[in-house]
Amino acid sequence: MNVTTPLSQDVINSLTINDQILITGKIYTGRDAALPKLIELYEQGRLAENGISLTGGVIFHTAVSDAGIGPTSSNKVEIEESIPLLSQAGIKIHLGKGKLSDATVAALKAHGSVFAVTPPASALLTAKMTHKRVAAFPEEGIEALYELTVVDFPAIIAIAHGRSIFDR
Amino acid sequence: MSKLHYDTVVDRIADTLVTASTTFTPDQMRAYAHCKAKETNPNAGWVLEKLIENAEEAEKNALPLCDDTGTPHVIIELGKDATLPGDFLPAVEAGVAEGLRRLPARAMGVLGDDKERVSQKKGLSDDPGHLAMAPLRIIAIPGNAIRVTVLMLGGGPELRGKTLRVFHKHNFQVVLDEMVAWAKEAVALLGCQPAILAFGVGRSNFEASSLALEALKNADFDVQTDVEKEITDRVNAEHIGALGLGGDTSVLATFVKIGAQRASGWRVVSLRTECCVGPRRATCEF
Repeated sequence: MNVTTPLSQDVINSLTINDQILITGKIYTGRDAALPKLIELYEQGRLAENGISLTGGVIFHTAVSDAGIGPTSSNKVEIEESIPLLSQAGIKIHLGKGKLSDATVAALKAHGSVFAVTPPASALLTAKMTHKRVAAFPEEGIEALYELTVVDFPAIIAIAHGRSIFDR
Repeated sequence: MSKLHYDTVVDRIADTLVTASTTFTPDQMRAYAHCKAKETNPNAGWVLEKLIENAEEAEKNALPLCDDTGTPHVIIELGKDATLPGDFLPAVEAGVAEGLRRLPARAMGVLGDDKERVSQKKGLSDDPGHLAMAPLRIIAIPGNAIRVTVLMLGGGPELRGKTLRVFHKHNFQVVLDEMVAWAKEAVALLGCQPAILAFGVGRSNFEASSLALEALKNADFDVQTDVEKEITDRVNAEHIGALGLGGDTSVLATFVKIGAQRASGWRVVSLRTECCVGPRRATCEF
């Protein structure tokens, strides 16, 4: 299925676990360093003044460097802790890798968001990126909040509507 | 070592680091193709296919297999009849830094004093070459060759690694069962399956982890011992699968290096749970 950002709630409602999707449009990136800072901006009501809109957005758990992009483990403490609040703030797809806790599965369901995974295939994934810019926190270098433009970025829906692909 | 020789070593080591970071060995490609062909889970099959495509793209265009380009580790095999010039080790170190820039690697060197480096409060260096290589190991070999293997160790496997004593009860199976239990737990949490497991069994934490690294240096996906195959098969029976999505290939292969042991009721076991792009390593010879 092809999806384009910003994502509507109808699109998210139509996704189920095991769906293979291709994402096109602008997405944000962030990981251990940037996500807690992004949450601070949200809680302070300062997203707009920093030119950040999370509504219907995708956030990809990756660094951005000359070595390319690729998912980091989303179950690292600061990353997984960001998922409930950023879902509340408007993020619809959290994109990374790894099993998430039952509490996070429940939080995603409560906020109508999903978790998707993509392989650490950096040479391939980087080829899907057509533009990048630092959106915030440049002091974090490769861990800054980036805005990427991607075309047909591949992923699989792993957690949606209270169901997890990792539960077997 | 003359100036020319120093520069030659720097250049060869830099190229070796780039090769390690961008290339699967033919036996690893065969292992992936074999697993893809027999995979029964469609999503896992899709992941394996993407990993094969990624390896082809990376080798073709000399791009990093993974954006976590890893921390460089070096093993030198020194022939008993070889002469190692005094500036060889500085040349290796300079070659690693040059290779990180040539790749280019992700700039991950952390700035600051001891406390600042731990908390990462001072930020990162912009120079990929700032990432110092880990302390190196030297192994004696017959002949007069000097072989240098560069291994690039990513961060995910560090989160899932484990080095600990195991009480063997004078029964190898007891230790093996513990190794399998560790591997099942680690692979389930890895996030970048299929894993490549490396075990070292030694007398100290240092020795066991060194042996695990040596097992990765020697990794040949076409050759699996009975012990290595048993570990792989027992973890694969969990059906964690590629990227944790279920399926038949949770572990691509296992490599075990058992060293000398001492009189005691325990052994030290070290597990490195390499992710799907590992082991990124290449060797050059002087």
